[in-house]
Order: sequence, then structure tokens, then C-alpha cells
Amino acid sequence: MSNKLLKKENLGKLIDALTSEGSIFVAPKMDAQQVVYAPVINAEEIVFDYIVPVNSFKKFLFPQTEPIAEFNINKEGVVLKGIEIEPKEIIIFGSRPCDAICCSSLRSVFNWDFKDEFYNRREDKAIVITVACTKADDSCFCTTVNLTPDSPNGSDILLRETTDGDYAVETITDKGKKFVERFANIFSLNSQVPSHKPIADVKPIAGIDVKKVKEYLKDTQHYENPLWAELARKCIGCGACTFACPTCHCFDIVDEGSAYQGKRIKNWDACQFEFFTLHTSGHNPRDTQYKRWRNRFMCKFNFYPNKFSSRGCVGCGRCIRVCPVRLDITEVMEKVSNQP
Amino acid sequence: MENTLRQKAKELLEKGEVKVVIGYGWNKQKTHTTPVFITKPGDAGKLVFNPLCVNNLSLYLTKKFSDIKALGKPAIVAKGCDIKTIAVLISESQIKREDIVIIGMTCNGVVYKQELWKGELKPEIMPTKCHNCDVRNPLADFVIGEKIDFKAPDEPTGMVFDKIKGLDKSSNTERWDFWFEHFSRCTKCYACRQICPLCYCERCIAEKNMPQWIETSAHQRGNIAWNLKRAMDLAGRCTFCGECERACPANIPLNLVNQKLALVVKDAFGHKAGYDEKVHPPMIVFNMEDEEDFIK
Repeated sequence: MSNKLLKKENLGKLIDALTSEGSIFVAPKMDAQQVVYAPVINAEEIVFDYIVPVNSFKKFLFPQTEPIAEFNINKEGVVLKGIEIEPKEIIIFGSRPCDAICCSSLRSVFNWDFKDEFYNRREDKAIVITVACTKADDSCFCTTVNLTPDSPNGSDILLRETTDGDYAVETITDKGKKFVERFANIFSLNSQVPSHKPIADVKPIAGIDVKKVKEYLKDTQHYENPLWAELARKCIGCGACTFACPTCHCFDIVDEGSAYQGKRIKNWDACQFEFFTLHTSGHNPRDTQYKRWRNRFMCKFNFYPNKFSSRGCVGCGRCIRVCPVRLDITEVMEKVSNQP
Repeated sequence: MENTLRQKAKELLEKGEVKVVIGYGWNKQKTHTTPVFITKPGDAGKLVFNPLCVNNLSLYLTKKFSDIKALGKPAIVAKGCDIKTIAVLISESQIKREDIVIIGMTCNGVVYKQELWKGELKPEIMPTKCHNCDVRNPLADFVIGEKIDFKAPDEPTGMVFDKIKGLDKSSNTERWDFWFEHFSRCTKCYACRQICPLCYCERCIAEKNMPQWIETSAHQRGNIAWNLKRAMDLAGRCTFCGECERACPANIPLNLVNQKLALVVKDAFGHKAGYDEKVHPPMIVFNMEDEEDFIK
């Protein structure tokens, strides 16, 4: 534990110092009557009373729409030019522990067989400053997936709110340490040990056993269990859950422009869309919606944790809050945990 | 009311008149209602009806829900506003009247979003559609609930219509800026399309890529093309269930654009969607006697 303090009144100075160097400062702010992660240019824009922003901050590391190459077709043939990005430093202030950990999930998938320089360069330039949760709602379930409202994993700096309304600073990574040293005039030394606001009390959901969920999913005999159709019948097949999810990472490649010139673009895609798995032959292996929903669940609790050491589900609860038909992933986890 | 509903559902299932009752149930925490599909008479007790029943369940009658169709003949728990959508689905040959049983619920209004519920239905948490509702006593195979004495205002009133009036007064540039800003938040999650019972195309134009009519990118061009295209497709068809706006994770005021178009269609053709399952929406009919000659 460091003895540094970030006074709320100094946030403005920090934003000024960073934005004057050309860095981007992202923080929770109000947009269209909801709290979202968005770039801010002064401290007045920041919202401090929030649970988790409705979007995750993945879009700043893995943009929803990103050109990756340009093409020209002329008499000589096709001229392809790759796009090199040089991202600016980006500070994600007010992240939550469940969001911070998503970087390791995204990094594993973007570096598994192919090194995705678009993601890596962006994440290399990102500094994640997390504020531990003092509030939670009934969709939060981080403790059920073995995280805590103040877990440090994934954050460069972890802040805890003090009863005076300031932040006690804990540096987690070298990147975080260097950041605090760089702004030594802003992160003040604290003479006394500050008293922290109590961390949110998020009780693990009693009926859920994540290990059991994983074991159940591993057994391919359970794949055709009528349970899936019953649990996910109401899914309407939109991409709200996957786009709000901090770890969902699927994308689609499209070409835009005229027949002679244009761009190759990488866009977010969602396994919940009907055409996500449609083959050119016309065959669709996931031909009904519950199969698509089952896939997303399998990805979070089976495919992903089996392939990588990082997490598929971080318990942020966004997919529950955003779902237009209130398909609650924890209800499914509980049902699966209780299967014989 | 709930008991009568459960009794009716149980009876329909027991007699084998329907194989599934599409209705509302509680989520586990009893904070939100969620669609339920009751196939066993013994499960009829799971059905609920209250001001949190916001979803327009007629969505589940459309063809894309093939696994629900496979269950057999459905009964659907529907508010008056949901029945309007069913009427459009029938008029557009998506379902046959005799293939479904409609359990109509009398309704005093619902909440705009379930999160607003604090135990009491106050006018300020109700959506504009409820303040203008002329179907609180629905027409259905069975009507459940006490008769409601409510007269809809003659002229549409409420937040959506006030905002439309405001936009009508603004300049073209201001209106363009307004929509440009709102559509810029679109993430192309297609929740608006997926929740809409009238967006039943087997292959949406947004998914056609030879040629690519609508760019899939969530940039300004792609977002404006998508949102305007969807608005035009709903002109004269939208029954103002408000589900697209409720489902939108980016809070885009989709009711404004859809209700503006509904007003335009009403002025031009005297048509209001969802009141007669035998009348086709004006934008999808070709009529040899059409007064306009540009179309002939």
C-alpha cells in the first residue's frame, strides 16, 4: 500500500496536464441520461456516483469500427496498403475491477495465434485507473465468479474512496507506478492513514458453482439437453449483451468503398446474430436462437477458460441490465449448477 | 386478475386447445418481468400481470422463432397495444387469426422502463403510449381484468408528441444535427430490429452484402443509413408499442422518428396502424385506382 492520495480537487489538474500532452482522458460521464465511459476534458464532466457505466471501456482498446487496410485497383492491379496505428496515451479513469480485468481477456485472444497490433499498441498506451466499488446493484455478481469489488487484477492503479471524498492510491503495475511518479505534484503524500469508505458487499449467489458449470459444459453429452431451449427460448438475437460485455471480442471484416478504392474495416460482430455462423452453402449450424445463446454461455464458461488462463465472464452484470427480455445469465448459471 | 389469467391458461392447456401460453413471469429476484413459455398446466401459476409487463410478446408469434412455433398452437397474453401489433401481423399474412388464441388483459398502463418501478404506477413513469391509450379494454378471445374507464385524449399528447412538435418547429439543419447526434451513439446491436415484432424479414437489408446496401460499420454513414431505413420500413405499420426505444442500449429516441412518420401517414392516407387486421398498411399496397399517377 502506498501512502499517496489523489485529492478529488486535483483531478482537473491531472486532466489538464494529460490533455495538454495530447493524451485522452476517459471517465464515466452522463450521455443521453446514462453513465458511459467517454473522453472528458474537464473534471466537471465526471460522474462519481455510478455502479458501472452502461458500456465497457473495451471500445477504446478495440474500437467498434476500425479501418485496417486501404485498397486501390488500377491498371497495374490491386494496391493494398496496411494501416499502421500510433495510438495516443489513453487514461481510463474510474474503471471498475470487473472492467479492468477485461484487458487480460482481450489480450489473450488478440495474441493467441496472430498478434493483433491494433489491439496491442492501444493497450500498451492505456493506463487503467480503477476505483474500487462502494456500491453494487442486484445485477452485480463479481464475487460469484471469484472476483471482488476491490480486486487489483488488470488495473495499473487502484483507488479506494476515502471518507473525505478523496482517493487512497495503490500502484499495481510498473506502468501505474511510473504514472504516479510522473505526476508527483498531483498525487500528494499522505501523512496519516486515511479512512476508507466500506467496499460494496456483494454476496456470491448461493446456488451457483462456477466449477460445476464448467464441468457440465465440458461434457458434450449435455450439448443437446432440452434445458438450453427452455432457458434461452426468449432470447431475441440482438447484440446488446455482447456489445456491452467487456470480454466479448468477435469481429467481422468488411470492405467499404467503390469497386476501385476503399477500406478494409474490422467491425464488432456478435455470436447472437443469426448470420454469424451462416455458411456460404446456406447451412447454419446454429439455426435457432437458443443455440446461439448456448454458444455465448459456452464461450464464457467453457471455451474461453479452457483455452486461456484469463476470464470469459467477469460478473459485471451488463448483459443482464441491457437485455430487452431480461435473460439473466446468473439464472442460467444456477440452473446448470443444479443439474444432476 | 392474475388468478383468472392463470386459471384460463391452465384450462386452455389442459383441454389441449393450445400447446403453449406465451406470457409474463417474474425473474428470480422478482424485480423484473420476463417472457415465459408455459407448456404444462401445472406451470400456469408462474404467469403474472402487472405494470412491469412492458414487453410486446407478439414478437414471439413471428416465423423466426421456429422453436416456439414447433411447440404447437400458442395462446398469447397481450395488452391492447400488443394486440395492435398482432393485427398488423395478421394483415401482412405473417400469422393467421385462427392459429392463435389471444388472452387480452385490461391495462391501466405500464412503466416506461422496469427500472423506474418503485411500487406505484405514477403518470410520470408511464410511456407516452399509455397516456394516449384507446385500447385499455382490448378486443380478444378472452378478456381478463376489470373494465377500465379511461378516455384517450382527442389529440395525441405527452412527451413524445411534445418533442415532435418542437422538432417540427426547428430548421432542417437543426433537425439534421439532432438526429446526427443521436444516431452517432448507435452501436449496430440491432436490438431495435430484434425486439420489433414487425421487423420480421427473413433476411434484413442490413445483412445483404451483394451489394452492401447498408454499411455494417457503426460510423455516421452506416448508422444514419440503418436508422433511416428502419424508420421508413415502419412508416404506416408501426403501432407505437415503443419496444425499440426501450430496448436501445444507447437511448436513441426512436419513438420520435417512428411516431412522426405515423403522424405523416395518418395525415396523408387517414391510416392508423393496428386497428383492423383486414386493412393493409398504405405503404405496402398497390392500387389501380390510386389517385396519384406517378406510381402507374
